[in-house]
Amino acid sequence: MNEMERLSANMKAAFGHPARRRLWLTAGSGMLIAAGLIARYGFGMIELWSGLMVIAALLAGSDIAVRAWRALKVRHLSIELLVTIAVAGALVIGEYWEAAAVTFLFMLGAWLEMRTMGQTRGALKDLLDAAPATATVLRDGEPVEIPAHTVQPGETVLVKAGQRIPVDGEVTEGTAAVSEAAITGEPMPAEKAPGARVHAGTIAENGLLRIRATNVGADTTLARIIQRVEEAQEEKAPSQRMIERFAQWYTPSIIGLAVAAFAFTQDIRLALTLLVVGCPGALVISTPVSIVAGIGRAARSGILIKGGQHLENAGRIDTIALDKTGTLTEGKPRLASVIALDGTAEDELLRLAATAEAGSDHPLGRPIVEAGRKQGPLPTPETLDEHAGMGISARIEGREVAAGNRRLMEKLGIPLGTDGEAGLERLLRAGQTPILVAADGKLVGLLGMSDMAREGAAEAIARLRDIGIGRVVMLTGDQPGAAEAIAREVGIDEVHAGLMPEDKLELIRGMRAGGAHVAMVGDGINDAPALAAADTSIAMGAAGSDVAIETADIALLKDDLGKIPDAMAISRATLGNMRQNLVIALVTVAGLLAGVFSGDIHMAGGMLVHQLSVLIVIANGMRLLRVPKEARRAAAGRESREQPATATART
Amino acid sequence: MTQKTVLRSDELSCPSCVPKIEKALRGLPGVEKAEVRFNTGRIEVEHDPAQSDVEALVKAIRGTGYEARPSAF
Repeated sequence: MNEMERLSANMKAAFGHPARRRLWLTAGSGMLIAAGLIARYGFGMIELWSGLMVIAALLAGSDIAVRAWRALKVRHLSIELLVTIAVAGALVIGEYWEAAAVTFLFMLGAWLEMRTMGQTRGALKDLLDAAPATATVLRDGEPVEIPAHTVQPGETVLVKAGQRIPVDGEVTEGTAAVSEAAITGEPMPAEKAPGARVHAGTIAENGLLRIRATNVGADTTLARIIQRVEEAQEEKAPSQRMIERFAQWYTPSIIGLAVAAFAFTQDIRLALTLLVVGCPGALVISTPVSIVAGIGRAARSGILIKGGQHLENAGRIDTIALDKTGTLTEGKPRLASVIALDGTAEDELLRLAATAEAGSDHPLGRPIVEAGRKQGPLPTPETLDEHAGMGISARIEGREVAAGNRRLMEKLGIPLGTDGEAGLERLLRAGQTPILVAADGKLVGLLGMSDMAREGAAEAIARLRDIGIGRVVMLTGDQPGAAEAIAREVGIDEVHAGLMPEDKLELIRGMRAGGAHVAMVGDGINDAPALAAADTSIAMGAAGSDVAIETADIALLKDDLGKIPDAMAISRATLGNMRQNLVIALVTVAGLLAGVFSGDIHMAGGMLVHQLSVLIVIANGMRLLRVPKEARRAAAGRESREQPATATART
Repeated sequence: MTQKTVLRSDELSCPSCVPKIEKALRGLPGVEKAEVRFNTGRIEVEHDPAQSDVEALVKAIRGTGYEARPSAF
């Protein structure tokens, strides 16, 4: 390759890419303008100055004109067309400096806007980049590298230390510390051993994992999150829709105004200047830029906000209702006491309760089933009935067995007796959740369950109050004693216990009827009606549950209560940011129009102000991407503390 | 046969480029639907690859002054 060929190849590379070509043209015209200014004010060479300005205008203007022409070919009146007409007019009437400055500023502004807008979208880019393009799979015992989305479900994927996991799947061999920050925003890596589920986009920080692929490509949790975030970013907030309707009329009105202004005043400069300021740039970009940044920032910390509408709603929340089990508590209750009554053996009591609970997926049932299985194999119930919010009844080996709360016993007409009442009293005093077990219409014993408050729960509640959520309420189907023990521990003073799902719904409705803006936080199916009734529904631990990702307005990918104040803070900040941007944009438009008509602003100045306002609006939106100081401090606090703050009285 | 192709561009800086790109894409043979999402820079095209392949989509977008690349999702 000789020198000329290499040069032409380089030129082609530089000019073949539209963005790069524009950057070169902008730089070129900028240098010509600088040279022209030196020629005029340094050496008084007016002729040279004019010549350089014309060349600068033509250089930068060529690209604008070409784009205007291409848009015109598909019948689209573009902003480039306005600028082209204005610059052509300026050249005709001899305003060389204005023409050069306008084209240069337009190109430079567009380039800067592209760069900053790209950064605003950057939060999502991190997520997109989190998915590796290739995967190493075992085929006939040999590792083969293939594109990640072509892995077949069921195939074994190898992941070495430091690599990103390319698919969703289950660990079959090996152990590793896996950083899930890309998905959940959680900085601490989780230990993964055979049987554990891993997600595409997470990083194996050490070890070597063999993973059986379950979901690949667009079916992975990461892909669904990206899709959700994008849909959320695209979903227009009500204020954005209003502005877009306004903007539709704005550009044509400006053209009309320019024509009318020329007809009345015969002032061609005034008319051309109006065309230059005619792009509603800052206005149309003011809300999308805040929403993209706000939702992107939230996604980066594992908070999915499902769109501008929900962002606006969440920004107004003043009351938060929380479910207890699984939300405020770990949702992993332990079997803390066993009280056998009426001559029943403890192992028989456990066996009956465990057999009945084995058919239910209630979180309180799990530890009972585990304890029952330890004693030996469990029989299969002949029939099984779930009583929502009360418990379960079953026929086991010909016996009618019921396990649940006091209300279930009342419903079935089973008396508690003095021993039963005494046992219940004892469990409630200890802050445990009692499960009453009856067989053949008689109470045979009680089981006491205790659950731990979630790590950081008290702190999260305190932060909610700090950011101005005046009322924090616990709604639970659990007994008052157990509910109040947890409430005291986390700092909630309004407790509604012993609720049925429809009671929760009614309470939420009541709060809203009283004028409150209510957010409901829950995780279970029994919270679904209350979640639907709230202004904003927040689901916890959504990374493992598609239902939560699909239905909640705000989904927290990780079970971390601290993310709730984060989500509220981000929503509020985004709302505020949107309002600031609107004010900046409207003031700019008003100022520009006033300036043009009073004769204080000419073409170059108008273009400068216009491009600056767009950049200011984008830069303001970008502020949302930063992690607020308090959130960072709180996150650091959560990590550094080793022991959760738990109650002492519950054993 | 119609297929759906997702392209992404980092360069959309003003919402005015949205209709411009959409109109250019819809002008191609075999393109049934073209949607440009300004907020995310995501471009969704439903097209017949026999008449206009992915390369043709990229070229049409480049013609309006923006660089885009195909994306898996």
